[in-house]
Amino acid sequence: MYILKNAWRSISRAKVRNILIGVIVLVIAISSCVALSIREAADSAKEQYLEELEVTAQISIDRQSMMQGFSSESGGFGRNSMKEMMTNQEDLSLEEMLVYAEAESVKDFYYTGTTSVDTDGNWEAIDTTGITEDESESEGESDAQGITSMGDQGRGGQIVGGNKPDMSQMGRMGVQGDCTIVGYSSDDAMTEFLAGTSSITDGEMFEEGTSEYECVISDELATYNEFAVGDVITVANPNNEEETYQLTIVGIYHNEQSGQTQAGMMGGFSASSDSANQIYMSYEALSAILTTSEGSAETTTDEKTGRTSSTALKNQVSGTYLFSTVEDYEKFEEEARELGLSENYSISSSDLNSYEQSMEPLNNLSEYAMYFFVVILIIGGIILAVLNIFNIRERKYEIGVLAAIGMKKWKIAVQYTTELLCVTFIAIIIGTGIGAAGSVPITNALLEKQIESQTSTKENQMANFGRGEMPSDMGENVPSDMPSDASSDAKGKGGKGMGNFFNTMGSTVTDYVDQIDSATNLTVVIELIGVGILLTLISSLFAIIFVLRYDPLKIMANRE
Amino acid sequence: MSKLRLENVSYKYEKSKNFVLKDISFEFEKGNIYAIIGKSGAGKTTLLSLLSGLTKPTSGKIFLDEEDTKNKDMYSYRSQDVGVVFQSFNLLPKLTAVENVILSMDVSGRKFGNKKEIAMELLNKVGLDEDEAKRRILKLSGGQQQRVAIARALSYGPEIILADEPTGNLDGETQDDIMEIFRKLAKDENKCVIIVTHSPEVTEKADVVYELKKNDSGKNGTRMKK
Repeated sequence: MYILKNAWRSISRAKVRNILIGVIVLVIAISSCVALSIREAADSAKEQYLEELEVTAQISIDRQSMMQGFSSESGGFGRNSMKEMMTNQEDLSLEEMLVYAEAESVKDFYYTGTTSVDTDGNWEAIDTTGITEDESESEGESDAQGITSMGDQGRGGQIVGGNKPDMSQMGRMGVQGDCTIVGYSSDDAMTEFLAGTSSITDGEMFEEGTSEYECVISDELATYNEFAVGDVITVANPNNEEETYQLTIVGIYHNEQSGQTQAGMMGGFSASSDSANQIYMSYEALSAILTTSEGSAETTTDEKTGRTSSTALKNQVSGTYLFSTVEDYEKFEEEARELGLSENYSISSSDLNSYEQSMEPLNNLSEYAMYFFVVILIIGGIILAVLNIFNIRERKYEIGVLAAIGMKKWKIAVQYTTELLCVTFIAIIIGTGIGAAGSVPITNALLEKQIESQTSTKENQMANFGRGEMPSDMGENVPSDMPSDASSDAKGKGGKGMGNFFNTMGSTVTDYVDQIDSATNLTVVIELIGVGILLTLISSLFAIIFVLRYDPLKIMANRE
Repeated sequence: MSKLRLENVSYKYEKSKNFVLKDISFEFEKGNIYAIIGKSGAGKTTLLSLLSGLTKPTSGKIFLDEEDTKNKDMYSYRSQDVGVVFQSFNLLPKLTAVENVILSMDVSGRKFGNKKEIAMELLNKVGLDEDEAKRRILKLSGGQQQRVAIARALSYGPEIILADEPTGNLDGETQDDIMEIFRKLAKDENKCVIIVTHSPEVTEKADVVYELKKNDSGKNGTRMKK
């Protein structure tokens, strides 16, 4: 007890020395607090996002795996054989997808069907392609003939943006029409509405799972044709103009990105790819149309190739598996293989990719902060150790007297270490307070710089490729404010994840984490206390060695 | 029975070939004042260091109550069994007089009542008033520091008091005061007081005088008076 009393008395009576030590520890504490807080912010943002994240995944044909398998099986490269193999490799059917949806790890499964249709001539699709109808028809014919080649391109492509119909796979849908009907299995499948990029502006959404021929159309298509809720539109089978279906408009929706992105991007291929020409309805209703179409279809066989073709409407099904956690997603691959999923298919998730990209600046900052932390610790430790050695040499006489009156050397060492610990702890408490107050603005400022540097690097890379700058509305990083952002739910549920994966020039625009709300928590405080103890012990170690080596008789003899 | 006994004690410093003390056999009893005299370099302070447990003899034995001190923990020996008044006092300058005394009581590990009260009483006993007792060491005169050193040596109640030139730097009147304190300690409180000194006055007042001589050939300690 008297050791503590002595230590405290010694601190209060050697103010200059202890203030000097305190200032050094204070600087170390503030720097360490900021560095640890940055790391903690990155960790907690990651943890919180992963907790809220519902991972979505799709199963698609793995062309690379097929090619590798082909070369190892055949022992050589045969383009025609390979082409044939890839042509015969069908996308998963809905029935097959449903089998894998039974896996334990899957929380939910939803799907969309996409089919291409024509107008009946009484109304028109929005067409910014600049291709005349004749050209369009001939293109359609060539598409019909070239189904295989277009389809192949589509197979390897990953479905970006969750459950959004993949336009690159349209080749499997037969002759391209003017519009695209997208059938949704449930409201959960309508990720754009969940994420808020699309919303009903007039009327209402069709009933979930209805088999009525009810649809919602884009506001652009409605304005273009002066359609209103309650109107009936007629769509035709592009392979058989006589086959028509009447759909009742129950709602009109607005898509925020329509007209800015897809139109410019996809309009060059065909009008049906334009998001403005997408007609949404329930999958049940679409399925009813497809069944009717199949019933009235004509089948012909090509004499040369022996291949049969049908005039029935083609349907492209895209399934999305939903998982509660990343672990479930990782487990799914194993389960799906056990349920019979071939190695020619791969499972991928755009959510995790976008998550990793969004965390990149914060992770980088966290990494730099930890390097900085280590350097601060080393330099701080050395300065403190040197200071302590001088301190102990200066107090040699005191050590001699204490030892001479019978105070054991280890008790003297404990007293000196306690003095240093007290000063260190006071400095750490003050440092933690200052660090905690400063860590959020400092982290956000550093994060902003990091994002600026990252964005500028990407822009420079694009400029080097001659692709110019990104459109201003896409180049901006929308603050996601992850830990408290309500939109993260929608982001988690929907297939969009955090990244706004639109691109006009082949690059992605990522929604970076650019704000943190709080950084210093109990873990940081405990770590700082640990740092304090560690620094004290390391720097005291030299002092302790000196104390143990001193001989009181020599000290006093020298003094006398 | 001797309180403290040296049996054929010799001592030489680590890197020295010559013995400072050779074959010394002295006895010290309670109730007496002992003076150790000798010329400079005769080994008086070395002998005091041996008696105070700051160092150990090269050969020979030192007995405390007929128990070999070799087996004793020298820290507890210094903090409980002997009270030392160093020539240069060896007080802690950052502490007040009373704090210096209390520190020794704390270090001894013994239980006391009100330590501050006891320390104050001791300081009063050696001639310091309350105001002086609360001053830091550097604000006290040499004589006052000497008194504080004596009070510190007495604070935990040791039966042996060792003093190295306790009157060396003091004026005549103060010297008498200090010697009176030692006399009372020996005669009234039955302590064993051992004083290393050059002073004839101190030697005069001692019950027993041991003289140390520089003598490389044989014993260099002799009992001179009683």
